[in-house]
Amino acid sequence: MDVINPQVVFYIFGLPINNTVVSTWVMMAVIIIVAVLIRKFKPNIAEALLETINGIIGSVMPEDAKVTKYLPFLGSLTVFLIFANIFSIFPAMVSPTANINTTFALALLVFFSVHVYGIREKGLWGYIKTFSKPIFLFPFEIISQLSRTLSLTLRLFGNILSTDLVVAVVFSLIPYLAPLPFAALGMLTGVLQAYIFTVLASLYIASAVEIEQTEQERRRLKEELQQSS
Amino acid sequence: MWQLDSSTLITVLTILASSIGIVLGCVVPALMEGKAVQKALDGITRQPDAANDLRTTLLISMALLESTAIYTLLVVLVLLFANPLLDRFFG
Repeated sequence: MDVINPQVVFYIFGLPINNTVVSTWVMMAVIIIVAVLIRKFKPNIAEALLETINGIIGSVMPEDAKVTKYLPFLGSLTVFLIFANIFSIFPAMVSPTANINTTFALALLVFFSVHVYGIREKGLWGYIKTFSKPIFLFPFEIISQLSRTLSLTLRLFGNILSTDLVVAVVFSLIPYLAPLPFAALGMLTGVLQAYIFTVLASLYIASAVEIEQTEQERRRLKEELQQSS
Repeated sequence: MWQLDSSTLITVLTILASSIGIVLGCVVPALMEGKAVQKALDGITRQPDAANDLRTTLLISMALLESTAIYTLLVVLVLLFANPLLDRFFG
């Protein structure tokens, strides 16, 4: 039972605090300290990291999209996920993403940011109109929006939980040295899952903000008309 | 046949269903992922210039394929460690 449900460590005003939440707090402190140290002593590492994340997001986005507009959200998502997925290699810590509530919160963030970016790009009515082309596909679009949130949640949660479980099972059989390859595999899977989560999030945002060819043509014609008149 | 009381029967059936389910749920996505990798490698050997695009698409589609296996794993984990049927009948 306590494999799937995280353990409650203590209570704040009757609110149960899980061990995953505690390790999230520790992880936030670690991220802040590492970021400050890198910024102070090795700024070029931060620059290379930024370039890498920018390249990953830019490879998915359409050519003319401004990647820097979405970089604060997607980049911090990547950094958070990379740290969160490999955080169980530290002793007495668990991965924050091995709790389904964390991954569901992240998927909800992606869900809402997709709509916010889409509405900001096209306006409310224009964004709703993209769902209903043709009109009978509207319910299916709604279902696909909801199911992609669910699949983002369950994929990340299942991957991280399963790799942690494999390490725990091997550790209970042979405690010394044998779990190391599995822990290394778990780190590889964690980084890969962080990459995939980011790529999928930027893919969803890109599909929400992309303006279709005919729409673009019409806007250009409109501008030309306004200029000529 | 042995006389089993119903909680034992539910436990045995749960174990059987989880084993069969995890086998099917792991083998089928693995076969299909192998197919996807085969095609992608085919494409890379034919057109090495397109390797970067192919790699991104391959990783995304492999993650999407992999998620069916992960769903099976989650269902099996719930059946084994947090079985709702046992709680409902014998809670």
